[in-house]
Amino acid sequence: MFVPEAIIQLIHVSKSYDRRAALSDVTLDIAKGEFVLLMGASGAGKSTLLRLLIGEERPDQGQIFVQGKNVGRLKQAEVPYLRRKIGTVFQDFRLLPNKTVFENVSLPLIVQRASMADIRRKVIEALRAVGVEHKKDQFPNSLSAGERQRVCIARAIVNGPVVLLADEPTGNLDPERTAEIIELFKLINARGTTVVVATHDPHVMTLANRRALTLAQGTVVQGPG
Amino acid sequence: MRWLWYLVREAYANLRTNRLTTVVAILTTAFTLACVGIFLLSYVNLRNAANWLQEDIKIIVYLDDAVSQEEVQTLRERLRTDRLVAALRYISKEEALGEFRVQFPTDFHLLEGLGENPLPASFVVTPAPDFRSPEAVARWAERIGGMAGVAKIDYNQEWIDALAEVVRYLELTAIAVGSILSAAAVTIIGNTIRLALFARREEVEILRLVGATGAFIRIPYLLEGAVLGGAGSALALGMLKAGFEVFRHQIGLVGRFHGFEELVSFFPLSVSAAFVAVGMGLGIVGSMISLLRVGERRR
Ligand SMILES: Nc1ncnc2c1ncn2[C@@H]1O[C@H](COP(=O)(O)OP(=O)(O)OP(=O)(O)O)[C@@H](O)[C@H]1O
Ligand SMILES: [Mg+2]
Repeated sequence: MFVPEAIIQLIHVSKSYDRRAALSDVTLDIAKGEFVLLMGASGAGKSTLLRLLIGEERPDQGQIFVQGKNVGRLKQAEVPYLRRKIGTVFQDFRLLPNKTVFENVSLPLIVQRASMADIRRKVIEALRAVGVEHKKDQFPNSLSAGERQRVCIARAIVNGPVVLLADEPTGNLDPERTAEIIELFKLINARGTTVVVATHDPHVMTLANRRALTLAQGTVVQGPG
Repeated sequence: MRWLWYLVREAYANLRTNRLTTVVAILTTAFTLACVGIFLLSYVNLRNAANWLQEDIKIIVYLDDAVSQEEVQTLRERLRTDRLVAALRYISKEEALGEFRVQFPTDFHLLEGLGENPLPASFVVTPAPDFRSPEAVARWAERIGGMAGVAKIDYNQEWIDALAEVVRYLELTAIAVGSILSAAAVTIIGNTIRLALFARREEVEILRLVGATGAFIRIPYLLEGAVLGGAGSALALGMLKAGFEVFRHQIGLVGRFHGFEELVSFFPLSVSAAFVAVGMGLGIVGSMISLLRVGERRR
């Protein structure tokens, strides 16, 4: 049997906040190139899991691997290099209001000291991929919620990350915009990027129609099937 | 090079967005460092004066009124061949009186009233450069003081010693005041940086998320600290220079101190540059402290 290479792997991972478990004994695999939905009610531990993957939090127990790297054991100085391989998208966009769309999307490249020519090429490419190239000189506040989320996705993919993590990316969008964004994720996934979308919205699961991992009170209830 | 431009622009944006805080920080830093500068300037000038007086020291060997011509001759020979003596001048009683008349014309009648000339004859000795230390002069004075015909030896050492003492105290005060006020400057700038960090916490969060290293995030704030410290110390230097020129002009106008204004001097260029560099350093330290504090809270 062909076993696809796991790009994300959690082995008996537990994480508590103030002695209350947010994740307990979670074991799961996500293969390279997969599109996975991380489902679960509010407080189930979805965001906690994503924060563990980007080194924002450390597990209390267990091991977490991203592309073979033990993320739970990373030195503080190594975390930035992990994040350059992972694109992140949030419900609240997290765009800088005083910077243009172009500048916002170029941030991941600037922090890597990319050349001006590289930045120009890659940012335009990413903006085109999400369909907001024409808004590149505008400021986030003049964009609709759907457009802002597209800019946020452009920023997440501008680097050509191996993994794209999205935490409730459609939480602030109407159903139509939600469908568009999910289509966009599928497109990005089709180009080879592993995509993980955390949501409590069953509608998103229907739209995506991909493997779903369901968390309930910090444990995986619907197994990595 | 885009990243470098980004860092500089961030630092500049920090300074601009908090314009009032920036101005207040620069002004308070400037006044603080100007206080340090005043002490430093007084110290440097008084130390120069003390050295200069020591260098210019003249030893006056007063002679007994009853001294014989031979004794004067023997003494003159003895002094002329002494290693310590670089130059020697004899002042007779009459010459002493003449000089007094020139120097203190209004007081001259006091001496005239005495009838006879009360001023003693003397040898004025300029010590050789190698023998101008207080110890060398004191030892020499002791030796010569015992010789026949010598009444008294005077060389202003008490005066120079007193000045040296003042310089020593001023040095200690300058160090104490300098440390305290430098700490104040560090605190002022550190607080300004903390405000900037707080205002931009969202941006810092996003930079961390997209893979910025700690150094990349810190650099704009370190630059901001350096600019605040550098601008503050440069302004302090300007205020000091202005104050110094006014002071020099004023003492030039007072007849009694005429010529004194040529003796005081401002910091040389190297010290001025060091002053600004230290200001920048203090700013960077303030910025580092704030960055550390904010960083710790995140853990
Ligand atoms: N920083 C924190 N400090 C304390 N408790 C936390 C923290 N972050 C999460 N928790 C707790 O951990 C549990 C899981 O939270 P998490 O944010 O992972 O849930 P979630 O599945 O993302 O929920 P939602 O759908 O509401 O975003 C919750 O009980 C939450 O209160
Ligand atoms: Mg969440």
